[in-house]
Amino acid sequence: MKEQWRLLQTGFNTAFSNMAIDRAILAANSDGKVPPTVRFYGWMPPAISIGYFQSVTEEIDVNACKKLGVDYVRRITGGGAVFHDKELTYSIVIPETHPAIPKNILKSYGRICNALLQGLKQLGIKGTYAPINDILVNGKKISGNAQTRKANTVLQHGTILLDVDVNMMFSLLKVPNEKIKDKLIQDVKQRVISIQNILGKRIRFEDVAEALKVGFEGEFHVELIQGILTKEEKTLAAQFEKKCFSTTQWNHRR
Amino acid sequence: MRSQSIYKVPQGKLLKISVEYDEKKNKIRDIRITGDFFAYPEEAIELMETKLKNILIEREQLTEKIRSIIMEYHIEFIGVNAEGLTQGILMCKP
Repeated sequence: MKEQWRLLQTGFNTAFSNMAIDRAILAANSDGKVPPTVRFYGWMPPAISIGYFQSVTEEIDVNACKKLGVDYVRRITGGGAVFHDKELTYSIVIPETHPAIPKNILKSYGRICNALLQGLKQLGIKGTYAPINDILVNGKKISGNAQTRKANTVLQHGTILLDVDVNMMFSLLKVPNEKIKDKLIQDVKQRVISIQNILGKRIRFEDVAEALKVGFEGEFHVELIQGILTKEEKTLAAQFEKKCFSTTQWNHRR
Repeated sequence: MRSQSIYKVPQGKLLKISVEYDEKKNKIRDIRITGDFFAYPEEAIELMETKLKNILIEREQLTEKIRSIIMEYHIEFIGVNAEGLTQGILMCKP
């Protein structure tokens, strides 16, 4: 019999709630209270998340965010700033000692990204993993991913773009020229691609979630069983949201 | 004096460092290391910032100090390394 992992579909939440839920699942899994968990979710209102090491004011036009009703939050994972709007976000939480997870951090990025590639394949999209933490289609970024390891537990979360409003994105993010130069791409707008760009038609969040579910099941040879957050996870998430992710102290700490 | 640098680590991430330094002694007074890199554990970056205070801003000494901190505290960097951090710090000086 295949190993069973938990699947969570938590719908659309605020940035603060979303980051708190991932953190809560990590804590619960680390305590051995919940099985390995794959979660699919969205963001409402749209939000920017920045990497743990980033400076909020260097990455984000805070005033533009306020004006446009966009939230921002600092992640517990490293990596770059992401504008979360029309996209699907996943997270996976699993013990570091689980045989499915390579000890080597970079290799484990690759393994988890393979699940996403398998998911995209379900939609007829051929992507490639671009180390360290990106997935590309036709050389353009469709997915960014970030991983942390805490309390012997791996949390990786990342996004798949369903659609992209590049103008909106770059009205909120400050993008330095260096990075663009280095990637040999002349136009900022040429760096990203979405599922809808590729397929040339609208796609539903649920359909992408279903494809990714199949991708994770295939890559890890497991069965994902639809579940819910435990009472304890909900309590923890509420605490993390209140004491950490919604606070200026956390979000403006760097 | 406070000064900043932006440095794209070869094959790595974008490093943004801000250094306040003593011009006479050529030493770091305060440093803030930001960027879209990864470090495990993440909290190690604050430790690194603390340990780099009063260090001479000179390539070999910086690299050696950063390497020793990485070793001592079992820090794993992805997208940046001791050489990259050193370069970023040196670039803060005009």
